Amino acid sequence: MSEQHSPRRPYLAPLTASWWLKHRYYRFYMLREATVLPLLFFCGCLIAGFYSLQQGEQSWLNWLSFMAQPWVMALNALTFAASLFHAKTFFELFPRVMPLLPAPLMIAGQWLGTIAVAALLLLLLGGVL
Amino acid sequence: MEKTVEKTLVIQRYNPEQDQRPSQQRYQVPFDNSTSVLDALLYIQQSLDPSLAFRWSCRMAICGSCSVMVNGIPKLGCKTFLREYSGDLLLEPLAHFATEKDLVSDMTLFLQHLQAVKPYLIRQEQSAATTPATKPQPHKQTPKQLAKYRKFSSCINCGLCYAACPQFGLNPEFLGPAALTLAQRYNLDNRDQGKAERMPQLNGKNGVWGCTFVGFCSDVCPKHLDPAAAVNQGKVASATDFVIGLFKP
Repeated sequence: MSEQHSPRRPYLAPLTASWWLKHRYYRFYMLREATVLPLLFFCGCLIAGFYSLQQGEQSWLNWLSFMAQPWVMALNALTFAASLFHAKTFFELFPRVMPLLPAPLMIAGQWLGTIAVAALLLLLLGGVL
Repeated sequence: MEKTVEKTLVIQRYNPEQDQRPSQQRYQVPFDNSTSVLDALLYIQQSLDPSLAFRWSCRMAICGSCSVMVNGIPKLGCKTFLREYSGDLLLEPLAHFATEKDLVSDMTLFLQHLQAVKPYLIRQEQSAATTPATKPQPHKQTPKQLAKYRKFSSCINCGLCYAACPQFGLNPEFLGPAALTLAQRYNLDNRDQGKAERMPQLNGKNGVWGCTFVGFCSDVCPKHLDPAAAVNQGKVASATDFVIGLFKP
């Protein structure tokens, strides 16, 4: 029988753009990926900060007052929360990708490392602010 | 226990010779604590509607034939029980695959992807087994070497992970969880020497890098293989392969 007369007519359901809304698991995944959006704003702030530092004192003071505005503080607080959430998911996935030690040990180690680096940065840069 | 309680199964029907698109049909099925989705389908086929098409074979979660979507989640029909659901059950064919008829999916793509990663032991050297003068020698493996790949070796090719993988849904050329897990399984096997043959497939755009670690594949895997971990371990292997490649003449 030629292909033309085959009774086969497989039906492929189209995948809509809203596929990720259909399941809790996909929504969680998209939330994880979306944590990069507020981070983009923070990166912009940081780059602007470095630029203003190079431009001179007045520019730097302007940047500092910009950063102190409530909406900027709120957005950056959101960025911080989103980054912590992303870190949590990442740290939990990492032992599955590189199973070097028991997973709870690796997760604890990554958090300890994060705290150590954050403490070091605060110590080094704390005097500047 | 008497089968007096009934449950409603809403089943997606599609007859390629008559229908333009799938439709839904409702069936009332008596059930007790031991009634699986597959039992319910067999009951419908035998007592209510002999035209219902679905795949099944072993009834014990080892053949991987009876994969269906139950309320939108990929499941093995034989390992899913009606008692687990409080309301109606919506049964559909596996997502991301074309439907041949009713609950029967076209698994051609899946099989092609499996084949593409050469999921078998490859030996490069001329083994002793091929020279007639010597007796065939077994390939030795220590328990430690076995443990390296063992958890990735119990795949039953049910395809649930493909129905869970949005990347496969968006790009059917993506090799997908089961194939990439199998590749990792053989790459980790000390008896195998075919890694160099598999890496081009894994390194390509439809290989391991097509995965974004959604992780749903590991959640639905009826054998708890953790395919997401295997695929992402494949990324480490792929990156290592790339770096080594830079220093090779």
